[in-house]
Amino acid sequence: MLQVENVKRSFKSGDITVSAVNDVSFTVPDGQFASIIGKSGSGKSTLLSLLGALDKPTSGSITIDGKDIAKMNDHALIGYRCQKIGFVFQSYNLVPNLTALENVMLPMEFAKVGKKERTDRAVKLLEQVGLTEDQMTRKPGKLSGGQQQRVSIARALANKPKLILADEPTGNLDSQTGKMVFDLLHNLAKSEDTTIVTVTHDLSIADKTDRTFQLQDGKLTEVK
Amino acid sequence: MNVLSRGVRNAFRNKIRTFSIVVIVGLSVGMALAMLVARQAVTDKITSVKSSVGNTVSISPAGVRGFDGGGNALTAADIAKVSSLSHVTSVTQSLSDRLTTSDTDLESAVEAGALGQRFNRGSGTTGGDMPTPPAGDGTATDGTTATQSFTPPVTVIGATDPETALSTSQGGGTFTLTSGEVFAGDSSENVAVIGKGLAEKNSLTVGSTFQAYGQTIKVVAIYDAGNTFSNNQVIMPLNTVQTLSEQADAVTSATLNVDSIDNVASVSSAASSALGDTADVTNASEQAESAVAPLENIQTISLYSLIGALIAGAAIILLTMVMIVRERRREIGVIKAIGASNLNVMTQFASEAVTFTVLGAIIGIVFGLVAGNPITQLLVNNSASSTASAAGGPGMGGGQGMGGRGIGAVGRTVTNVTASVGVDIILYGLGVAILIAIVGSALASFFIAKVRPAEVMRAE
Repeated sequence: MLQVENVKRSFKSGDITVSAVNDVSFTVPDGQFASIIGKSGSGKSTLLSLLGALDKPTSGSITIDGKDIAKMNDHALIGYRCQKIGFVFQSYNLVPNLTALENVMLPMEFAKVGKKERTDRAVKLLEQVGLTEDQMTRKPGKLSGGQQQRVSIARALANKPKLILADEPTGNLDSQTGKMVFDLLHNLAKSEDTTIVTVTHDLSIADKTDRTFQLQDGKLTEVK
Repeated sequence: MNVLSRGVRNAFRNKIRTFSIVVIVGLSVGMALAMLVARQAVTDKITSVKSSVGNTVSISPAGVRGFDGGGNALTAADIAKVSSLSHVTSVTQSLSDRLTTSDTDLESAVEAGALGQRFNRGSGTTGGDMPTPPAGDGTATDGTTATQSFTPPVTVIGATDPETALSTSQGGGTFTLTSGEVFAGDSSENVAVIGKGLAEKNSLTVGSTFQAYGQTIKVVAIYDAGNTFSNNQVIMPLNTVQTLSEQADAVTSATLNVDSIDNVASVSSAASSALGDTADVTNASEQAESAVAPLENIQTISLYSLIGALIAGAAIILLTMVMIVRERRREIGVIKAIGASNLNVMTQFASEAVTFTVLGAIIGIVFGLVAGNPITQLLVNNSASSTASAAGGPGMGGGQGMGGRGIGAVGRTVTNVTASVGVDIILYGLGVAILIAIVGSALASFFIAKVRPAEVMRAE
């Protein structure tokens, strides 16, 4: 379960303090698919950074599996990101000189999974997201946007995380490919019992999620 | 694939850049190796020249060389002064004397000949101009006639160390014992070690006796010095010669053995101060120092060039890695976001830097192998000729007299420097490459550590 309580994140901009995330609280049970919508600059990506332990909140707590990541030190956060979180980015962010297979194996290498085991799992995940054997050996530059995003999803699932955070996962895709990627993400989340929180502008995508939150001026409200 | 192999693979992401970096680093490593080779060759040569000179300081009474000149012998008090100097490990002393036919029954193994007759004709005189060179029959070209009855005297050396006694005589040579055993340095017995020529001339063997100073002297050993002059000499205990020749405590030559070649100059100076005008103090290391001065310049030049090449190589890698890190800032953020530690990322980038430098080192080692010796020769020749020009003399032998000839001989030796590239140099090359990679990656590592994974979200 993801539990967020009174989380604030503010930044100094000259003499002014900007609250990107202001007293946000919500809970997402295991296996649920939640979406966060909001205008550009509303604090969506900041909230996602906080949930993914990429940044630390100014105050409040973020609890996953009973552990408050706001209180973890940097070393513990590395382990947390590696084992508990999977990221799916809008522009895929695959490592360009690694093949699709190697990109999916990368998080497992950081988690110290044995070579054979990580190869087998990476192949299985890529097959699940619909990549052919030939496509697995291609570098990202030789794959289409949809294929790259599917590799990105497979990478996010590599270490069997409790939480997948997706930042505009369909933002760079056409509507048909976007729908396919969303369905894939949704199905995999169900099959792997993984909680998914996605940030999106696409209301049609948000409609298909289990719950939807709206972020406006750093304040979060549940709209569905 | 792990962080190391990823780093190696990353080194080839931009092939043109990689090629350029490898060539530049190769030249840098090559130059560093060439300088290392030059420095090593020159250092070996300096050590060789200095060690060939020996760690000794020679002292003789002022105004005396062998049996030429005049003055007063050194005394026991003089020897005591120099013996107590710092860095002096031991002192060997000798007293040279000549046995004429009235002092000994030994017959000289050297015939007087025309030169002996000529040299002897002025003995006993009190000066006058030097005569013109002699004719082949002993008659001088100025009309004087040499003494026809002259017999070359036998030189006796009273020594505390019979095996090095020849070095203080005019004949020199290498003492090689052919039979018998030498006497102890502090002996006062009437014993002698005689030269091979003298032994053969007088039919003496070990155990034979001869007369000198009115005493019976026993032959305890026979040596071969490798030259006729030295093989016509007698070496006896110093105490014995001092007593028999009635020159108590007198010494005509002393050699100070110094603990290190580096201290020879200071001991020489201290001995001069201690003895004042009573003695002439010389050491060959001064000549050697002059001769090896150009090589020491090369040592310095090669050291600075080596450091410069290393710094240049490290700077190239450092700037390259900083540029690469800035280029891949987003990728670093992603890798960190999916679970990589700073150490993982730094190791990957260090591996990339090592790949650049090892490839550079291979080129550099080839460069060093090919160019090491020519560069060394070029440095040596240029340095030697510029030193000679600055001195205003012909080559290295611009000095006068014995010292000048000495410098010339050593000088010719020091320009003959051969550099070789061994396994140690190749290992140094690889070591240099690793050093460059580490130094070059250091700043990049700092930037890597500063990249926050959250930046990957901001870039979205």
